Parts: sequence; C-alpha cells; structure tokens
Amino acid sequence: MTDVTRFTHGSRIPGWDDSVDPNKAPAGIPDLATTPVPAELREEIQAEMAKYPVFRSALIPALHAAQRVHGWCSPEAIEQVAAVMGITPGEVAAVATFYDMFETKPVGTQTIYVCTNISCSLRGGPKILEAMRAAADGDADFNIRAFECLGACDMAPMASVNGEFVGPLAESDCAQIVADLKGGGEVLAAKQLRVRPCADEAGRVDGGQTTTSEVTQ
Amino acid sequence: MPRPEHNEITLTIDGRDVTAIDGQILVDAARGGDIEIPVFCYEPKIGGPVGACRMCLVEIEGIPKLQTACSTPVKDGMVVHTQTDRVKGAQQSVVEFLLVNHPLDCPVCDKGGECPLQDISYGYGGGKSRFIEPKRHFVKPLGLSPLIAIDRERCILCYRCVRFSQEVSEDHQLVLLERGASTFVATFDGHPYVAPFSGNIIELCPVGALTSRAYRFRARPWDIEGSGSVCNLCPAQCNVTFTVRDDRVLRVLSRDHDGVDDGWLCDKGRFAYQATHSDERITAPLVRDGDQLRPATWERAIQVASGIARHPGAAAAIVGGETTNEEGLLLGRYMRDTLASHDIDSRQGGALSAGVLRELARTDLQATVPDLEFAHTVLLLDADPVDDAPVLDLRIRKAARRNDTQVLVASGRPTALDARAAVAVRHAPGSAASLVLALDSALSGDHGAATNHATDAGSDLESINALADALKTGGEDVVIVWGERVTDGAGGEAAAKALVNISTTLGLGTREGSGLLELPRGTNGRGLREVGAIPTAGPGLSNPVTVGRSTDQIAAAAAAGEVTALWFLHADPTRDGRNTEIWTRAMASAGLVIAHASTLSPELAEHATVVFPAEAGAERDGTITHPDGRIQRLRKAIGSPVDVRPAAAIIARIAEVGSGVDLGPATGPAATEAVSAAVSFYAGLTVDEIGGRGLRWQDRDAATNLPAGDLNGESDAPVPAASPNGALRLGTYRSIWASPEVELSPALKFLSRRPTVELSPVDAERIGVIQGQNVDIGTGTDALRATAHLRSDVPAGSVFVESGLAAPGNLPSEGQLIEVSKA
Amino acid sequence: MSAILFDRIDEPGLNDIATYERRGGYEALRKALAQPREGLLEELKASGLRGRGGAGFPLGMKASFIPGADIDKYLVCNADESEPGTFKDRELMQKNPHMLIEGMIIAAFTVGANRSFIYIRGEYVLQADVLEQAIAQAKAAGFLGENILDSGFSLDLVLHRGAGAYICGEETGLLDSLEGKRGNPRLKPPFPANQGLFQGPTLINNVETLATIPAIIRMGGSEYAKLGIENSAGTKLVSVSGNVQRPGNYEIELGMSSRDIIFGLAGGPDEGREVKFWFPGGSSSPVLTAADLDITYDFDAMAKAGTMLGSGAIIVVDDSNSVVDVALTLASFYKHESCGKCTPCREGTNWTVKMLQRVQSGEATPMDLDIIASVQEQIIGNCLCVLGDAMAMPVGSLVAKFRPEFESHIEAARERNGLGLTPPPASEEPVLSL
Repeated sequence: MTDVTRFTHGSRIPGWDDSVDPNKAPAGIPDLATTPVPAELREEIQAEMAKYPVFRSALIPALHAAQRVHGWCSPEAIEQVAAVMGITPGEVAAVATFYDMFETKPVGTQTIYVCTNISCSLRGGPKILEAMRAAADGDADFNIRAFECLGACDMAPMASVNGEFVGPLAESDCAQIVADLKGGGEVLAAKQLRVRPCADEAGRVDGGQTTTSEVTQ
Repeated sequence: MPRPEHNEITLTIDGRDVTAIDGQILVDAARGGDIEIPVFCYEPKIGGPVGACRMCLVEIEGIPKLQTACSTPVKDGMVVHTQTDRVKGAQQSVVEFLLVNHPLDCPVCDKGGECPLQDISYGYGGGKSRFIEPKRHFVKPLGLSPLIAIDRERCILCYRCVRFSQEVSEDHQLVLLERGASTFVATFDGHPYVAPFSGNIIELCPVGALTSRAYRFRARPWDIEGSGSVCNLCPAQCNVTFTVRDDRVLRVLSRDHDGVDDGWLCDKGRFAYQATHSDERITAPLVRDGDQLRPATWERAIQVASGIARHPGAAAAIVGGETTNEEGLLLGRYMRDTLASHDIDSRQGGALSAGVLRELARTDLQATVPDLEFAHTVLLLDADPVDDAPVLDLRIRKAARRNDTQVLVASGRPTALDARAAVAVRHAPGSAASLVLALDSALSGDHGAATNHATDAGSDLESINALADALKTGGEDVVIVWGERVTDGAGGEAAAKALVNISTTLGLGTREGSGLLELPRGTNGRGLREVGAIPTAGPGLSNPVTVGRSTDQIAAAAAAGEVTALWFLHADPTRDGRNTEIWTRAMASAGLVIAHASTLSPELAEHATVVFPAEAGAERDGTITHPDGRIQRLRKAIGSPVDVRPAAAIIARIAEVGSGVDLGPATGPAATEAVSAAVSFYAGLTVDEIGGRGLRWQDRDAATNLPAGDLNGESDAPVPAASPNGALRLGTYRSIWASPEVELSPALKFLSRRPTVELSPVDAERIGVIQGQNVDIGTGTDALRATAHLRSDVPAGSVFVESGLAAPGNLPSEGQLIEVSKA
Repeated sequence: MSAILFDRIDEPGLNDIATYERRGGYEALRKALAQPREGLLEELKASGLRGRGGAGFPLGMKASFIPGADIDKYLVCNADESEPGTFKDRELMQKNPHMLIEGMIIAAFTVGANRSFIYIRGEYVLQADVLEQAIAQAKAAGFLGENILDSGFSLDLVLHRGAGAYICGEETGLLDSLEGKRGNPRLKPPFPANQGLFQGPTLINNVETLATIPAIIRMGGSEYAKLGIENSAGTKLVSVSGNVQRPGNYEIELGMSSRDIIFGLAGGPDEGREVKFWFPGGSSSPVLTAADLDITYDFDAMAKAGTMLGSGAIIVVDDSNSVVDVALTLASFYKHESCGKCTPCREGTNWTVKMLQRVQSGEATPMDLDIIASVQEQIIGNCLCVLGDAMAMPVGSLVAKFRPEFESHIEAARERNGLGLTPPPASEEPVLSL
C-alpha cells in the first residue's frame, strides 16, 4: 500500500522546485580571462573543436573530457567548457542534462551501469542491480545506475563497469566486481565482452576464441 | 538584397477558396482566409516552425498522414481540411495530452481570460479528461529573474521562450534542462535570466507559466484597456500598448510594427512605466527659496521662469532627447525670435553645419529599419545598438541569422554584435572620426591618406582595408549604422562629410535598400534637429540667421558669465559625465536656471531656480521622429498628476508672461500642424495622417522640399588618438540601463548601474587588479572609484567607463589619457 | 549460405588493417575509386539493399537523393545502436572495423561527400576505441585523408561518441546531437538528403548497411541481390535475445523462417518453456505470438503480419513472464527516452506509464485498459518522430493480444494488495464538494 503512487504528489525532478538566485550575475558567455581552465582540458577541448566544420559539434566530446577531469559535470566544469567554446553555460547545461552519461550530481569514481531493459530484465537484470547495490554496500565511491539497453543483450543480464561490458552475470558476480574494482584489477576477466566469441558458426575460427585488444599502430 | 517575391496562389481550405502567397505557411494562409488553425509553438516572429506542440495537425489531400500546418508551405491547388473527424480527433488528443499535467487553476491564473491554452481547450478540446492520476505539483511561482516569475506546473513546453533566447535575442541564457516529461525551462545553475530583452518571453508564453512579477495579480483582462503609443525612452521608439487600469499604467506590451520594432521590446521599455507612478517623481513645480527648492504655485513658478525675458541674448537652452517636435520647435522659436538667443542645442558632442546636416538627411541616403534586415552588409560605426537603440540589435541579428547579412563593426568599445561580425575593427576611444576618414580614403584608393588616418584612429591600414574590402565585395545593399558620437568633437564635421563620401563611393544613394542610419543619443535626436533645436540650423534644417553656441560652448560661456540664463528642457547635462565640473560651475554662475524634470540630480537640486514637473511617457502628446525619418505620435494614455502640465504649454505661458508674445498653438493637433508648417519637408503633415503607425517623411511628396546640402564648408581635422604610455585611453559607454527611469522603477531598480570600468586583462595585470576589485580612474579628489570588469575583447591600452550614472564623477573627454590605479 | 559480414569475424587481429588487407580488404575501395560515381550508384541500387537500421529504406535510392551539386556534403554513419534487443553493429565494429570504414569511404565517394562521421553511442567504449585505432590506421595507409589512392578524392572521417540517449538513433535527432545540441528530432521535410548535418546534404546510414557496401562492390550489385528474396535482398544480422538458449548475432539470408532462427539458431526457450510472444524487430515492433513463428523473416512478411523487421532484433519472451511487466518495462523505457519535444510522445508515454503502474499494482479497472489502448491510438501518427509510435505500437499490440491476462493480473494484484475488499482509506485532506 505504501508504494502506491496514487497518493503521492508526482515525481520530483531535480531543479523543478528551485528559484533562481537573484544575487548571481546573469550567466553570459564566460570570459577566459576570468574563468581559469586547466591547460590540458582546454587543449583537449580545442583539439576537439578543430575536428569539426562547426566547432559547436565538439560540445559532447568536451563534456566527456570535462567530466573526466572533474568527476561530474559540475557547474565549474560546465563553465569551463563554456569559456573554452565561447558559448553560454546554459547551452552546455542544456546538453549535459539531456544525455544519460553525463552526471549532473557528484558521483563516485567507479561507474557501473546495470542494464534493466527488456532483454536483461527477462533474465534477471533488476536482481543484478539489487545485488550490485548490496555488494557496494553504500560505498560512495560506487556510482551504480540502472541503465537502458546497453546493446549487449546476448550476454544478458549484463553491466558496464567503467565502460567494460561484462555478462552474463550471476548475482554472485556482483561481489566479485566490487572486489575487483576495489583491488584495482581487471573486472571479471572471463566474462568481458572483448573475449566473447561470435554466436554464429560462420564467424568462428579454429579454436573459437577471440580477443579484441589494442593493435599496433 | 531583394525582398522575397510574392506570387498569389489559390488553395482550398474546408471547401473554401483561399488566396495566399506561394510558399506561405499554411497557418498564416488559412488565417488570411479567415480560417483558424490552432497553434501553440508556432510563432513566425521567433523563426521557422518546430512542429513540437502538434496542435495544428490538418488533413491535406494526397498525403496519408496528418500534417502540421505550421510547417507546411502552401501550393497552388492544395486541398486542406481542418474540420474532419480525423483532424478533430487529433486536436482533442493534443489538448488532452497538454492538459495531462496542466493545472486547471485558471480562476487564479494571471493569464486567465487572455490565455491561448484556455481558448484552444474550449474551442478544440474534448471537454473532458480521462487523466485521473495526481497531477504534478511543484513549488510555485518561482523567480526566474527579478522581473519574471515561472510556474512550472503550467508550462506546456511549447519552446517559445527558449527559442526566443536562442534565436531572437541570442543571449542563450534560457534553456531546457533534462529530457522528456522531466524537461523544464531554466537557466544555468540558478543564475537569473537577466538580459536586455528577457521580458518578451512573458508576452510569448501561451499559458500562464511566465508572468511579469510587476503585473502579477494587478488586474484581470476585463479590468483593463489598452492604449497605443510609442515608447520614448530611446531612439528605437518601439510601438507599445499601455495597459491601463484606473488611470494608471500597469503593463507595457509590444504593438507589433515591422517598420520599427518587429514586435519586440527591451526590458527598459517594458518595465520603466513604473517610474510614472513612483513616489520619488516630481509632481509639482518647485521654486528656489534660499538654498532649497520648495513646492510652489504654478503662477509663482511661471513668474520666476518668465524672468528669462530679462536675459536677452544671454539665455541658452539645452534640449533633451525626450522632447517632442512640438516642444522643440516652440522653445527654439521663443529663444531665437523673442530672446534673440541662438544658443540652443539638443546634441552633446558639438554642432554640424546645416549644409552637412542636409546632406546626411538626403532622402536617397536614408536607410529604413527593415533595410537592416535585407541588406547584404550592415556596417556599425562606433555604435552598439543594444545600448543605443536596443531593438535594432535584434533586427541586425535577425538579418545575420535568417538572411546571412554580413555584419561589420568598427568601434572603440567591443560591441554586442562582435560575435556576429565578419570583420570587427577597433579604434581608439573617441577616434571614430579618424576611422571614418581612413575608411573613406581606403575606399577611394588613397592608401597614403588611409594610413595616416588609420594611425590617427589608433588602428592600422590592414584593418581598414579589411573593412573596405568586405564593404565592396559583400553585395550592393549596404546599410551604415552610425552612432552620433562619430561626429563628436573637432573632427565631427569632417567625419560627417566622409560618411557622405563613403555613401557616394558605395553607391548607397542609387539603391533602394541601402543608406545611412544614424543612432542619435536622444530619443528624438532626429526630430529635434529637424525642428531647429540646434545652434546651426533653423526649422527644416534651414541656414540660421546666426550660428549659436553648441552644448559644450554654452557650458563654457555660462561658466564664464557670458550666458546668464539656462533652460534645461528634459535635459540634465550633469548626468552625462561629460564636463560635469564646468556644468556645475555654469549652473552656479547663471542667474536663472529653468529645468523640466521628473527627478533631480544633486546639481539641479543645488542650482535650479525653478523646476517644472515633466510629463511621463504615457502622459504625453506630440510627435517624435524616428532615426529613419518615421514621424510617430505619442498618445496620452493616462492623465497626468494634477500639477503636471505639458512642457509646451509651460513654454508658451512663460513667453506670454515674460515677453508678452503669443507663440501660437502649443499642444494638440494644431501644434503638430505648426511643426509641419515650419519644417519644409514635413509640409502638410497632420496627426491623422501620422495615425497609429507613423509614416516616414521621405515617403511623402513634401520630401522634395528638403533644401540642397553643402559639403564645401571648412572643417577641422580630428585630433589624433593619444598613445597610451602607462596611462590608458579613456572611453565611455552608456548602458541601456543607465537612465533615471530604471532607478525609479521598483522592478528595474536592481539593474541600476554602479560605476564600472572595463579593462583588458593585460592592463589589469599590470595595474594589479582582478575581476571585481575597485580601481580609481583619474587622480586626487576628482578620481572616480569603479569596479573593475575584465574583458578579453577590450584592447590593451584602453579603458571604458560607464556613463549616464546618477553620480557620474568628473571625467575628461573621450580619448584622453587617464591614470587608472588599484584602489 | 555464404556469410558476408560475419565471415570468420572472430579471427584474431581482424581489427588490425594488416589482417583485414590480407583477407582482401580495401580491394573493393580500389575497385570503386576506379569507377564513375554513377556506376557505383547503379551497383548500390541493383543490390536491392534496404537500410539495416530499422526503416528499411533502399540504400541506392537514398544515395541518389543526394544532390550532385558541388557543395559541402556529408556522410554520417549511425552507430548509435540503442534499440532494445539490438547489438549487431556492436560486434561488427568491434571485430571488423575496417569493413565499416571501407564501406563508408565508398559511400562518401559515391555521393561526393568529403567529410564523414561515425556517431557511436557513448556506452560502446571498446568499440569506439577499436574504431579510433582503425581510422588512424586507414589514414596512415592512405585510405583516408587527402587524395585517396591518387583518385583525387579526399575524405575526412571523425569518430563522434554520443553520451547516452536513445533518441539519437533517430536520424535527425542524431544530426542535432552531432551538431552539439540536445538530440531533438527535426521536422521533416527537409530530409537529411537535402538539409542535414550543418544544413548540407547528408547521407546517413546504419553501420550494417555501410559495412555491406564493400561486399556489394566486390560481388557486383546484381549478384548480391540474388541473396535473400524478392524485395528483401541480401543477408541480415539478426540479434536474438531474451528467453533463448543461445542468444547472439546470426547472419541469415532474408526470407528464412522465423522458427529456424529462434529455435534452430538460438536454441529456443529453456527446456519446458514455450514462446509466449516475441518482438521481431526490436522493442518498437508490435509483438507476434507463438502462432506466428512460421512467418518468414523478411521485410514484406513482417509488414503483412502487422509488424516490422526493424533493426532485426528478435526478443523472445517465454511463458514464465508477465505481460504486464514487459509492457511496463517497455513503456518506462520510452518515457525515459522521449526527448520531450512533441506533446503526444512526451505526455503520452508519461501517462501510459502511470496507467500501467496502476495496472501492475491492481489499482486499475478494465476501463483503464480501454484508455491505455485509446491513448496509444492517439499517439500513433501524431508525433514529430517515430519514438511515440515506437511505444504505442508494441504496448498497443500487447494490450490487444493479451487483454485477458491484463485483466486477470489486475484482479490478482488487487487481492494481493488488499484493494477493493474494503473502501480505500479516507484522504487526510478534506474533500471539497462543489
């Protein structure tokens, strides 16, 4: 009964109930002269801007870079991106809040996306999410999120652990993942997507094992 | 560039033949045929269609799916249905979806009674809701800025407000955050949405989500009436409707005029009406009694003021920009004809000869506001529209965005349009005249002269050539927007001649959509010049019997005791920051100082002999002339406080009492007719002809009465720019917010300016200041303390100090060197 | 059957250009560069290849819409594989990135585009890293950059990582996202072929589609068209997932029996379980039931069955699952991914989720099922893009095909939650009566 949504007042969305702070200055384009940006971040963003015929295209790559540096898309990170790109922080925030991979609240450094979409949910995805949360036991360094289909339904239920796809997961794997992350080692090496063979016979070669790894340049 | 061609076609809507323009948007074409297609997100003023609200779905024969009428251009023979069951079903669906989370709080909503959502729900909705889930509830209303409240429950995400911010004002502050049903309108990290045009989103909002904090709960639509007039706060002269309740202005709305404002207003124009009803406003005549100004009877005030008749040949008048043509003409007549004084000026920076003024006024050289939108190139010469005539900033942005107009900038201070500019050239502050001479030489191929002038301007040949090349190659239709300050000072006359030369070289006179557009400092700068409120020309830019003193000369003459009576008609030169010290001395030595004002500066309070309360904008009647020559009517929307009278009536009464002369009709249509009788090229103009939309005098037959110009007079060379040697070159700028109305309006008060100085990061580092610290400009007791604002785009060697403040300090003139040090 | 895309794709080091070239890679490019563009376009048309991203629009025709004028044109590869159940492009890019790159170069040459982009979903970290290396190798080998293989043709290829938004798989949403904006779909027309990326003509195609081009050039279009069946030419990667024993990607010839895919290749549901229903083309496709297993797997047969081939992702749901859970998972996903731009999708997905939650908790009545069905109908065809339809079609089909189960679920949940036996508790707030 307590969970019946009918008796509650709608879902709360962060930001909906916040007034602006009239003491702040309007957020125009930040001037690089007064907005310090770490040199490496600035160079990376500028390099991204140079890749496109219209520099604005570099906004998502720039946010990825800023999130790497700051841990999340903090107001400071957003201002830095805006200053380097010469656009307003509002435009940057509009984009940052649209995409699921950009964190708009401070989060831990270990990012785990557990797929709970249809194919994974048919094979226990939601339980994996619970187990993963239980394994992390509230450690603030773990950012565990239910995520939409990650495009690896063949290894359902699965998760993306700091970008590394692992699956199919048993609930017992979650503790191992947490331990692997804490130990700084490879995560569930045997269940990584990079070693998963093709399901189709035609794709196999003798030995049947594949590894996608770095190539020599 | 050529305006779009209009070919008529016929289509069928709901079985009726409708004539429309080929390619017109179906919603508009239908409206032309008196068929309403409901819309929320579609607003052509903002830009192209987005197709977001889905309200305008219609059936078009030959296309299986329903189409959005807001995005469908009409074609000849098209057959459209807007009343079929399928269309009605879609409309009811969309209304039902929109109302899923929209609170039905119309009885307590400010928009109730004038709400498109309300109207469309009644007209096109199903009349019932099947949504039984609890609606969303949020804290409301919230402040989006000190001017605007936002009610997020009511928002239907039509995109209008954020599109305005992205695509019209281009301030990019108001955005959508989050995604899907969680999407909401907001700013970055709780910063307020404060921008020169933010108030337009209130008018754009089709529901009660964005409301004016100043207007909230002040009236209901059936309590109010609208009164059309023209905003007289700046030369843009936007057309407005005053919302009036019980003889008080409660709101200002745009009165869409393509030839003037394109349907937008700046926040000053929208909210400064509050100054009208401010307690601080002077509403009765004041007369000096010892060291104090005290309220006095009208008889007494007129008696004191008519003492001006005892200063024949030694009286001078400064006419402020808000003065109407009628008032300007009347005062000029009295000064010249009765008081034998030719010292009347409405410009700050020195006078141009009547011959040159007539050249600049040539009808073939005159660009119109819509010309900006369709020009191949718009060149800004030491003008920043966002501060000088705000709504034109939007027009130029529209041109650049929609028509790829090339924007060129040559200015001392970086402008708001720099980001849009193909070429932006900086000159030393106060050296615009040299830059114009350099450009003239470069365009006519005289590189030697161009180099010299460029150096004088603190610029270089390369930059000037870049500008000249862009002008020559960017297309035939060129509009040159020039700030009045280009013709300031010693080189002003030479600069004006160079402007005419440039126009000739570029052939601006030969093309319809080309020409010059001056942005005067005062609202009615153009009209006042044309009615003769300047020392160098009589009414109709006629050659004067005697050339009088200009503003600066009047100050000096008064300080030296040569001028003994000063008349400030809607003017207070001590607020400009120019020669404040001389003006203070001038006012102290004058035997009689008459002022018409709504508020008193400390100097006026100390030195004025008599102060007449000035009418507020909504209380005035009369005509003003737009920078492009459009004569517009100010129409009285509300009555004045009982002791406030029209300035023209006061002038006439002073003339009568003091000198025993009858100046003729002072107010009403007859006064306007007196103006058209005096100004040859306004001949025959009546208030009826001006009507609610105004008209450009250049478009009337009488325009040919403009006497020929004369470019052969002597003119001085501009003073070369000083080279900064530790000291910095002083520039000034007047922000859109630097005005007494902003200080008086409770809603706008938060925008009133404090002394600010813009520094380049290089100079800031040398001086040792960082953003937000205080600096002293000048030395000793005269120094002005201001907050440092670092800008990368300010050229090293120059500083820009805000002017037009209540306490302007005492600054030397533009371009001079000045010490800037950490406070 | 001859595997085209998956042929020995597990070969170690195939992501390295040396291995790829040893296996005949980039030969098709050499062949293509030596041909006139019109000829290449004819080959693409003759192949009968229909877009593999979901809409199934013929590649050759799409490419022919790109104007010939000498203006800036763009090629964009849609690698935002986000349709639930779809993971074929992932395997292709990860294991054979050069095949995609080669296909893109040929496509760009065909339409005269000098700039190209791969928009890959941000979650595909490994695949993006692999592609980035492969692009660098192709550049170093002279297959990308200025004057490719002395043909006078130049092409720049940029890998662009997305950041997690299903809607960016919609081609115009992708273009907005690639321009650095929120990934909101645009009004069509104008179509990308006329006004796409940066307002220029843009050819935008799915990874699998573009990766097939080298094979088409190598074999010749008409030879390729012999694979598959009439109107559904070629081979197709099918991602099979859900309740099957061997989930994974399989390359099939179109026209194969669906039963052979689900049971023959993927092994069918676990022992003792039966197929309850299945999505034939990703989660956006209306569901089919066990009775439909013998329908052949091709574009026309699926359309005839009232559903679609979509991205070629078969999700099998067995009889151990509740249809209500599946419907709610689906609707919640689309609600989460709706961009919020147009009204029916934004509010319709939101409302549907709320109603399904009530169904799940037993608070609904059969009349609510009517409203759910009607809301789906109000969404279909009225939205700016197809995302709204993508929820409304499968949810609508589930309600239509499994209505008795929805009704019995409501009854059971009502009893379980103690609803309906006693009157609901009085609201704490006083009720105002008018």
